Amino acid sequence: MQFLESILIALNSLKTNKLRSVLTLIGVIVGVMTVIAVVSIIAGMNRYVTDKISTMGSTTFIIDRMGIIMSDEEWWDAMKRKRLTLDDMEAIRENCPACEVVGARMYTLRKVKYKNQYLSDVGIAGATANLHQISSINVEFGRHISEFEELHRRQVVFVGWEIADKLFPNVDPIGKEIKIGGRRFTIVGVAEKRGSFLGQNQDNFVIIPVTTFLKAFGTRRNLDIMVKTADLESMREAQDQARITLRLRRKVPLDKPDDFAIMTTDTFMQLYRNFTSTAYLVMIGVSSIALVVGGIVIMNIMLVSVTQRTREVGIRKALGAKKRDILWQFLVEAVTIAIVGGIIGILIGTVIAKIVSATTPLPSAVELWSVILGLLISSSVGIFFGIFPAMKAARLSPIEALRYE
Amino acid sequence: MLIKTEDLWKVYEVGAEKINAVRGISLEVEKGEYLAIMGPSGSGKSTLMNLVGCLDTPSKGKYYLNDRLVSEMSEDELAFIRNKEIGFVFQTFNLLPRASALHNVELPLIYNGTEPAERKKRAEAALKMVDLVDRMTHKPNELSGGQRQRVALARALANNPSLILADEPTGNLDTATGAEIMALLGRLHEKGNTLLIVTHELDIARYANRIIHIRDGKIEKEEKIPK
Repeated sequence: MQFLESILIALNSLKTNKLRSVLTLIGVIVGVMTVIAVVSIIAGMNRYVTDKISTMGSTTFIIDRMGIIMSDEEWWDAMKRKRLTLDDMEAIRENCPACEVVGARMYTLRKVKYKNQYLSDVGIAGATANLHQISSINVEFGRHISEFEELHRRQVVFVGWEIADKLFPNVDPIGKEIKIGGRRFTIVGVAEKRGSFLGQNQDNFVIIPVTTFLKAFGTRRNLDIMVKTADLESMREAQDQARITLRLRRKVPLDKPDDFAIMTTDTFMQLYRNFTSTAYLVMIGVSSIALVVGGIVIMNIMLVSVTQRTREVGIRKALGAKKRDILWQFLVEAVTIAIVGGIIGILIGTVIAKIVSATTPLPSAVELWSVILGLLISSSVGIFFGIFPAMKAARLSPIEALRYE
Repeated sequence: MLIKTEDLWKVYEVGAEKINAVRGISLEVEKGEYLAIMGPSGSGKSTLMNLVGCLDTPSKGKYYLNDRLVSEMSEDELAFIRNKEIGFVFQTFNLLPRASALHNVELPLIYNGTEPAERKKRAEAALKMVDLVDRMTHKPNELSGGQRQRVALARALANNPSLILADEPTGNLDTATGAEIMALLGRLHEKGNTLLIVTHELDIARYANRIIHIRDGKIEKEEKIPK
């Protein structure tokens, strides 16, 4: 009853003093809101990224000239490196027994045209015929590009789901001729729909034989070598064999680092984890500042409240309230105020997470634990910053308090 | 013997100065008595009342309430005694402004852990004794001065205390309303309650059966009022 009454007193004083309440609660609201929004967005991304990166396969690695560039310096260094070539790929095929499938892929953006319809900025991949064995691209209609077509530099193309959907809405695309960068290609197959990844449409691509690509779009382009191993155990060995092969071919001195980069799913996951831990750090920073400010404001309001209600404390003490009763009353009030802020913060944080996922490619998932964390944080702020004013009230002498005007 | 004080002293220190508010008062009050403590302002009667009401502890001397030595008790023990043994009536009513009359009367019962249903029943019974059952949902600012003091009286009665302690109960009321309150107190005394009123008005003090005059922190004289 005492408990319920203190909660009601707190809610009532919040209701009657709206502007003051907003100012009182804003710190806690911002603090909790930040936690909820960031945790929700990161949790959503975690599920998404883990899911998507795992489709690349943990038995796959990619070798490219640049690697993941984190600074200007690295970029200039990387620019000085020699390009990887199809011969490099052949060398790995020969010298890496641990590598099960070795392929290559080149990449550019071009306009794709069918009759007078066209799509601009389509990703054009020049790939070895075995690409589909390395990265997961499945056939919806028709077939993949064959080794024969690769060998003879045929003008054939395997198109992404969206290309077929947009250019051939009602027609069977197989056997039709499209123009890529002004050259004619015959469609041999259509890929299954892959959806999007972090807002990147994954169905807006075409694949042509890498040999045809070199002839049509030139050799002065980056080439990625893609390797798949039979199982996880041979990953390390395969990477070592590929590394040695390339270092020898590219005459890298023993004391110099690789002039190419080997990337695995771990590399991407590592990168992603770095990003999320930074986001968490920022969140902790912002929300702790907001919570401390919010807590001090609550303490201030509670001190004012204790002063204004000195007489009430006196009356209650005269009627038999013990120190503990008064302490509880004001502590419950402070915690109630903080929890109201916490609940508002949870609601706003959830709304922010939903808005972010609705307007940007970032997904979000409101986790139960972050909601519980939000409530725990706000009630702790209430207890921590409420205890001092409550003790002050509890220590008042009944006579002094009754005499207070 | 309900109240027994032996050589009660209260010394306040204001800065470097020592003020002897109560200087060796020995007092005895029987169960069922109606006693008035009278004196001009500054006589020490309020301090004496605070001591008797267990709101304050004496600097020296002993105070037995219901044969229990309360002058040596801790703050929380005193809170327990105030709750159980004493019903206060103040000059300024001292009701919680935001709470209904009923809730105000329930307060002492809250602090001794009475069950809600029982609490409501007893609070209503107390309000019935002061004839205010029809106003029990009203807040203090919706009541007249006399009604407020009756709520305060009901609150003092709610816990069935051994002693009702009234500090200038008519001080904030007009004469007619004051007389009503005094009549009500008289009826409560007839029902067997022990009453102690503190006042500076002789008219009010004469409602009691015995008057103790205080001056300069000491008992000046004592008189019995024949009824």
